[in-house]
Amino acid sequence: MGHNFLVAAFCCTWAIQLGYLGWIALKWQGQNRKIKASAGNPW
Amino acid sequence: MKKLLILLGFLSVIALMAWGFYQAIYAAPTEGTMGDVQRIFYYHVPHGMLGYLFFSINFVASLLFLAWRREQPAKALVADAWALAGAEVGVVFCSVVLVTGPLWGRPVWGIWWTWDARLTTSLVLWLIYVSYLLLRRFAAGPQMQTLAAVLAVFGALDMPINYLANRLWRTQHPSPVFFAGDNGSIESHMLAAFGWNVLAWAVWGLTILAIRVHVERRQQSIDGSEAAAALAGD
Repeated sequence: MGHNFLVAAFCCTWAIQLGYLGWIALKWQGQNRKIKASAGNPW
Repeated sequence: MKKLLILLGFLSVIALMAWGFYQAIYAAPTEGTMGDVQRIFYYHVPHGMLGYLFFSINFVASLLFLAWRREQPAKALVADAWALAGAEVGVVFCSVVLVTGPLWGRPVWGIWWTWDARLTTSLVLWLIYVSYLLLRRFAAGPQMQTLAAVLAVFGALDMPINYLANRLWRTQHPSPVFFAGDNGSIESHMLAAFGWNVLAWAVWGLTILAIRVHVERRQQSIDGSEAAAALAGD
């Protein structure tokens, strides 16, 4: 039983950490789109 | 050359994380009373310690923001980016503590949660910094950064209370193992595995913090350009 809790704890840790990293990556992509759009705007 | 260095840096972080995982799961001896579930210690405790580090970065950066906001606004913006990144990474680390703690407590104590001083102040700490992030996300106007910085300075008061909670009061949470004088001790192989995991998670956390600061600085530059364009009537 302890083994299952250990696996759950390690999986949750990585899910939280990688989830946050993924969110930063999405933010970065959004910024790239914004920069591209403003560069292409003639006004 | 710069890209190669960044790639090497990322590979080093991944290698260190893998080594920390190996130490926690395979190298560290199995604890006699709790068995394998005690290995949660190698993720739970480093996350708690590093959570303090990132909240402290938020605290110092918030103080600097308040000091610089009138005379040196450019420097204040840098401090603000560090404050935001520190709070976010701190919340991530604190979230791991709050999730892994009950997963350790259930098989060992027989309960998921209890309202003892250490657990309650940990939850309050997490709530303070979540409210800080919500304030930054939803408050509008030029005072938002100042309000957030003031909240951060007062919020940091919970850190020493949380740290001392299981030293000052009797708690369900175990007594401290480190910096506890004669009351705390740890087997040398366990200490080595713990040390590697502190190092691995510190490097991971600081890398993410640096990335987040960079993204926030970029956001500040985009916001600045948009505001300038709006003023120019574009």
